[in-house]
Amino acid sequence: MFRKFYLLFGLLTLGTVAFGQYRGWSLDTIDQVKNVPKSVRDNPGSYRSVYSSYHHYTGGK
Amino acid sequence: MSAGTPPLSAPPPKPQVRALNCPKCGAGITLRTFGQAETVVCESCRCILDAKDPNLAILQQFEIKTSHVQPLIPLGTRGKLRGTDYEVIGFERRHSTLEGITYPWHEYVLFNPYKGFRYLSEYNGHWNDISICKELPMVGGGMLSGTSASPNYLGEVYAHFQTSDANTDFVLGEFPWQVRVGERAVVTDYVHPPRVLSSEKMDKEVTWSVGEYMYGREIWDTFKLPGSAPEAEGVYENQPSPVTTNVKGIWAIFILFAILLAGLMMGFDFTARKEQVFEQTYHWERATALGESSFVTDVFELKGGPSTVQVKSWAPVSNEWLYLNYALINQDTGRAWDFGREISYYSGYDSDGSWSEGSRNDTVVIPSVPSGHYYLRIEPEVDPAVRAISYSVQLTRDVPVFGIYGIAVVALLLPPLLISFRWYTFERSRWSESDHPPMQISGLNVNSEDDD
Repeated sequence: MFRKFYLLFGLLTLGTVAFGQYRGWSLDTIDQVKNVPKSVRDNPGSYRSVYSSYHHYTGGK
Repeated sequence: MSAGTPPLSAPPPKPQVRALNCPKCGAGITLRTFGQAETVVCESCRCILDAKDPNLAILQQFEIKTSHVQPLIPLGTRGKLRGTDYEVIGFERRHSTLEGITYPWHEYVLFNPYKGFRYLSEYNGHWNDISICKELPMVGGGMLSGTSASPNYLGEVYAHFQTSDANTDFVLGEFPWQVRVGERAVVTDYVHPPRVLSSEKMDKEVTWSVGEYMYGREIWDTFKLPGSAPEAEGVYENQPSPVTTNVKGIWAIFILFAILLAGLMMGFDFTARKEQVFEQTYHWERATALGESSFVTDVFELKGGPSTVQVKSWAPVSNEWLYLNYALINQDTGRAWDFGREISYYSGYDSDGSWSEGSRNDTVVIPSVPSGHYYLRIEPEVDPAVRAISYSVQLTRDVPVFGIYGIAVVALLLPPLLISFRWYTFERSRWSESDHPPMQISGLNVNSEDDD
């Protein structure tokens, strides 16, 4: 029973990996924004990234 | 097994039960074995009597050291065991003393007038159905004479588990041998779960028996006993492992999956286009960056189906940082992937020696970006200490993501690890009670019977 489960699990895992690679999955999480106005191309300042004014690391050790 | 055997569930053959009296105390003695027993015990005065003697000669009288010894299956109880009706006719308590600790167990003598004797043993709720071996176990092509090695019985190889002295300290009912309280035998157990092969050496006589593990509930069902069986404590020497899967087989499947995964990885890596679609170096100067710092790149095309887009950023930072707000924008649909990347690199020297942290490179992979015409909006933010800096941005389409394979390997590893851990903890408990503690079980058979 366990062997059958593991065979199925393994095949599903391999299948998921293959599908993910085919579809271009990534481990990085990137935010998506819809309907960005075309005017951004002419006026980049009209778009503000959610990451702007990010609090930066300013030191070393 | 019971074909042609008249069931005992029918009315018992009353005329064949002999009712006699104890020559010591006069209490009634019932013989249930039709003269096949060697000894019978008077329940009243604890005299062991010669069952073969018409006058029931007294062989031994013993005293009960403990106040109360009660068989869990009362004498005279009948039940169908493996298709044959048996009656419980005898009961004895035995014990072994190991490292100053006494381990008592109980044995029951079962009888069927057509099949003969059979035995049940019980220790801490663990039961065994025992019968005398039909042939002598073999080892190394010859018959087993000592307590060494791994005997082979009926094609199964048994592992030595334990050798100990067994002392009889209480008896009740009838026995097919000359039983005595205080008698001592050297018992050697070999296991091949769910079976146990035992040799019992008394004087110069060696008796081989084979037992098969039974659960208490099976005994209760067999003999229709009231209540429920006592819970089994711990792991018994021949108790079947809850892991019925072939552990080695699972690891073999894992290796197969790992090879397939490596093949997938090489295949996708080989076929990935790794197409560089954009590359540009920019220069930033604080003196000229007083106004809006964001800008957009030229439009570039991503072809084919949805795929990864890798964005690589590089800047020659040293004890400073550069932060790039990115938006990969689809000119046709207005859909954008919004992300920020920090490039920072710090280094120095202190009492511990030289140190460094961070990197002048940064890489991020955007997932599943469809084909279309895109441009990047870039908004740099720069360390206040920096007056001018150059940085480069490179976009590559359809790059393999190897981290997915790492996750897959971990996922594929989990089931074999879990089943191996479960198997190991159970076997460790089993063998911790043996003459071969867990650190020395190199000869242990990893293969258990598969449930498939």
